[in-house]
Amino acid sequence: MQIIEIENFTKTYPLPDNKNESFRAVDGVSLLIETGEIFGILGPNGAGKTTTLEMLEGVNDIDGGHATIDGIDVQSDPFKIKEIIGVQLQASEYFDNLSLIELLTLFGALYSRDVDPTALLEKVQLLDKAKAKPANLSGGQKQRFSIACALVNEPKVLFLDEPTTGLDPQAKRNIWDLVQDLNNNGMTIVLTTHNMEEAESLCHRIAIMDHGKIIAEGTPQKLILLHAPDPPAAPLHGNLEDVFLVLTGHALRD
Amino acid sequence: MIFLRDRQSIFFSLFFPIIFMTVFGVMNSGQQEPLNIGVVNESDSVVAADFVQQLKDSLVFNVTIGTEDLLRSDLEEGDQTIVLVIPEIFNTANLDRQSVDLRVLVDAAQLAQLSLVMPLLEQTLIEIEREFRETEPMFSLVIEDVQARSQSYLDFLLPGLMAFTLMQLSIAGSGYNIIEFRRKGILKRLFVTPIQPKDFITAIVLARTTIVLTQLVVLITFAVLVLDVQIIGSFTAFFFVVILGTFIFLNLGFCLGSIAKTQQAAIMIGNIFIFPQVFLSGIFFPIESMPEFVQPIAYVLPLSFVSTGMRDIANEGVSLLAIMPSLIGIAVWLVVSYLLATRLFVWKEVAN
Repeated sequence: MQIIEIENFTKTYPLPDNKNESFRAVDGVSLLIETGEIFGILGPNGAGKTTTLEMLEGVNDIDGGHATIDGIDVQSDPFKIKEIIGVQLQASEYFDNLSLIELLTLFGALYSRDVDPTALLEKVQLLDKAKAKPANLSGGQKQRFSIACALVNEPKVLFLDEPTTGLDPQAKRNIWDLVQDLNNNGMTIVLTTHNMEEAESLCHRIAIMDHGKIIAEGTPQKLILLHAPDPPAAPLHGNLEDVFLVLTGHALRD
Repeated sequence: MIFLRDRQSIFFSLFFPIIFMTVFGVMNSGQQEPLNIGVVNESDSVVAADFVQQLKDSLVFNVTIGTEDLLRSDLEEGDQTIVLVIPEIFNTANLDRQSVDLRVLVDAAQLAQLSLVMPLLEQTLIEIEREFRETEPMFSLVIEDVQARSQSYLDFLLPGLMAFTLMQLSIAGSGYNIIEFRRKGILKRLFVTPIQPKDFITAIVLARTTIVLTQLVVLITFAVLVLDVQIIGSFTAFFFVVILGTFIFLNLGFCLGSIAKTQQAAIMIGNIFIFPQVFLSGIFFPIESMPEFVQPIAYVLPLSFVSTGMRDIANEGVSLLAIMPSLIGIAVWLVVSYLLATRLFVWKEVAN
């Protein structure tokens, strides 16, 4: 069963250097995401991954197309959508001077829920930091705390925007374990990443985006079979990074 | 809570008005300082000695006797306001026959003071003359204070200063904070939760109003207890005006936070709005004393209505009914600022 249905999403922005021209940041994206899967959206910087997520989350206006999450229309019922999704944004800071426990209680209040901050912190292994301020957390701890904040409303769908970017291998694996764990308990997770290993080991299915379009979609194994370059002599040896580079080209992106 | 933990900003938001009040209080405390005048007495007559004695007895003057050269250099250094030279011919015989010129040496740079000194000096001279000629004064002026209470400049200043503090705190409280929250991505994070924009605004308004009220209570307590400022009117009426004023400036702060994209821009736009009001809203001196062409503008500024209302209550003890014109002005600004704020504060755009 599909929990998220995206049909023909488009988003147009004016060009930064020429206001009269516009470009399509998201150009006709359609996706079906199954209940209970971990779905990865891959793509170079500026491919439209974050914009697509933000359109789903209601942060960004939907210029064209439409989408439903759990049967609720994203555009016409944004506040209902917000009740059932958990969002970890690419970069978020929190109110200074509030401890993690207080912030989680605050976020609970935003959903009109009484939350158990300690249980949430335990879930993301931050119990020993309960009284700390977000500013004093390390990069990995901050990400884990962001995920804890996204979990206060026990969401049906969790959106993670580059959850492991900039983290050391330990912190990265820690987040993977957390995501795996949440998914084992039935949560649908949609994440964006640049990390091919992450996509390959964590995601059930992935979509690769470039220039606002989806250029490939499927399980990691299927994509490798379809797109990995054949090595000249030796047995097939490609990995997902090869697939990614073949599909999106080698040119540097901003 | 968030604000309470920001000790630095609490300190500074109280520190400045308190320093301000204290400085003004000290500057205007007590009687006017006596004017320093130098007297060169070239005459050895009794009349001259009498005259000098009269000057010395006057509370208005602080007399130094000396030679012309000495006092002239004193004057140049600013130690004396004016130097009065009593000529040798200043004696009974001459005064009977003709009028005698007294030379007054002044520093042109102190001309402002001169206009203050000359009437006093002439007054003293007339009194001496009368005494000398034994004529009765034709009439005298008796000044009767119609305001039964004595009122110092500080009493005048305090309500204005509180109105000013209220404006600053409110605009910063909504405007600058929103921009800071946006810059940090806090607004975007809040936006993806189901909180309604009106709840967010209500929360900020309630929190900020509490903060402003607490701070003004601290200020007023300090002013009354330490500086002995008199508040005559009812505190309920006073704080009623304060709360309305806070709402106006919080609204305007929301406008500012929605228009300005960066903190620098906000501070600049904020100053364009704040500075004219500091000078034109009758905080430091009454609007009536301003040049006539700015008065119509000055009267309709939001801070003018708030500070006038607060001042009327604090200084004259009038009821809310008596400050109806100010209240109407406040109400108009309340509606205007509310409409502007709801028009400009678009949750989705502000959050992004």
